[in-house]
Amino acid sequence: MTPSRRSFLMGAAALSAAVATPEMVRAAAALDAVAATKADWALATQDVEGDIARQTMRLVHGRAPAGLQGALYRNGPAKFRRPGGSATHWFDGDGMMRAFRIQDGQATLEARFADTPKRRTETELGAVVTPGFGTKGDDRARIGSNDDANAANTAVMVAGDQVWALWEAGSPLALSASDLSTRNFVTLRDDLKGMPFQAHPRYAPDGSIWNVGSAGDQAVIWHLRADRSLSDAQVVPLPRASYMHDFTATARHVILVLQPWVFATHAMPVTAGLTWRPEMGTQVLVLDKDDLSKRRLYELPGFFHFHLGDAWAERDGTIRFDVAASGDPRFAVDGARVLVDGHGVVPGDPAKLALITLRPDGRADMTYSDVVGEFPKADPRRAGLKRSLTAHTSGETRGRPLPTGLAVHDWDSGRSHAFEFGVHQVVEEAVFVPKPGATAERDAWLVGPSVNLKDGRTELHVFDVARIEDGPVATWQADVALPAGFHGVWAG
Amino acid sequence: MKTVAAIAPVLALAAALTVAAPAAPAFAADLTVAFPSAAPQGQIMVAVFNSEANYGGVGQPAQVAMLDAAAGQTSVTFDGLPDGDYAVRAFHDLNGDGKMNTNPFGMPVEPFAFSNNAVGNMGPASWERAKFTAAGATTQSIDLK
Repeated sequence: MTPSRRSFLMGAAALSAAVATPEMVRAAAALDAVAATKADWALATQDVEGDIARQTMRLVHGRAPAGLQGALYRNGPAKFRRPGGSATHWFDGDGMMRAFRIQDGQATLEARFADTPKRRTETELGAVVTPGFGTKGDDRARIGSNDDANAANTAVMVAGDQVWALWEAGSPLALSASDLSTRNFVTLRDDLKGMPFQAHPRYAPDGSIWNVGSAGDQAVIWHLRADRSLSDAQVVPLPRASYMHDFTATARHVILVLQPWVFATHAMPVTAGLTWRPEMGTQVLVLDKDDLSKRRLYELPGFFHFHLGDAWAERDGTIRFDVAASGDPRFAVDGARVLVDGHGVVPGDPAKLALITLRPDGRADMTYSDVVGEFPKADPRRAGLKRSLTAHTSGETRGRPLPTGLAVHDWDSGRSHAFEFGVHQVVEEAVFVPKPGATAERDAWLVGPSVNLKDGRTELHVFDVARIEDGPVATWQADVALPAGFHGVWAG
Repeated sequence: MKTVAAIAPVLALAAALTVAAPAAPAFAADLTVAFPSAAPQGQIMVAVFNSEANYGGVGQPAQVAMLDAAAGQTSVTFDGLPDGDYAVRAFHDLNGDGKMNTNPFGMPVEPFAFSNNAVGNMGPASWERAKFTAAGATTQSIDLK
């Protein structure tokens, strides 16, 4: 029985002690019909009921590459539905940290829910009550600070013997890297407690880390040392209150891309307060890392995006970076609801890769490729520096959510290489893992999971970046299926 | 983010706590408010309210206290309160500057709490969530977060 049907029946029972009326029977039958029409991809947003103890994955294809040792930590929502009310948006499920560990040719998988105040409250109430990005919540919510609404479900960064579960509007949540148990929210400095620390920190060539957190028309710019201690945090004004999920950086610049999806009213959930105003265009704000008050503003035609690629600056001052861009935010508003519903048609077109160029004379332009892609990742040895390659998920088609392949796009040659699994796989973000001792951009692996819908299992794949079209060089399979996650990081 | 903006006015507590305690009439309830997990640092500001209106900021607290947490004082007893419903607001002034400090986006950075360890819904805990009945010896044990 589906949770929605269960809550319908519970509600009906509470209203009347009478036997089932014809109306009740018809309503229940309608809900059953919905349940019976779950999409083939619905496993990708299923609920996980508890933590998954470490298990050995079975090698089902190829062999583990020599020299590949480390852990892929990945975060993503894994619990949406509760009897008394459910999350209605993909971004609002409880965060579950996954660890895929590769050692001596063997792979293991474990996964553990982030033990957040939100999850504790909702477990106690048996209902999702906390407002979020697209979930309305209700008046039973317990929110004394933004971290009481923190789903800790979006991304992850490594910090010594911890991994930090990242969200968008609150603090990092520190977990033990060894067993993924929850420790505490991270306060980088006492006077900055609770300041938003977004989900896409950028790693600089000098080993330091930059990140942002936004609140309306201002943002905090975080700068962390390599040891993850705070070097500096400054609040900067923004030219508009725009929805911002990501930012990018060169070795010398912090780059904020302000799309024309702007906060028009104070409302919950977040999407309810946002208005799509494409005529405003997209603004690109470039800040000098050495002096954040030094800024340049570029103008582009309006587009929607979640994710940017690492940026670089060329000798003459030209700045370039890539983006997974689409025409409007319909996926963010409605598509992500379809995902939690587990059936239906996703509106709009899948994102395509585009290259943005900011020129020293103040002009900006944007060149679209024909490549459908999301979750762009690049060589970490070149973060903030000139590069050619973007690895990304691929294969998404109009109407059907979620990727089915992996690809590498070369911005210099304009060529793309892809491997398509087919619609029986939901492919997740893959991270770029340099081969030991190698320096060339193609001397790297891509490591990322998928949900094998046919087998009902989570898989972990390793690809050779130089031969992506040959398919995985190794695939391991778990004995469980975890829902598709969002973002990960490699700890070598 | 909207979340941040919407919960910025979490507390207007410091102002309420600057009011001097009125002389307490001798009645039945002895209310102890304890903060067992408080760090030995700064001072803890406590305000006890005896009505929804006063708790909501219309009137004054029935009782206030300032605990010297740095010296290890983590509880206070208000003797002889009239039996009835009360709610407590408290915050831990860690740096002893007499204010509830906030981060650059206006969110409190010093620990605060309400009776029943109640949590609000993008604001202070409501009277409904924080109220308790004091009669005889009554203790509220509160975790400042």
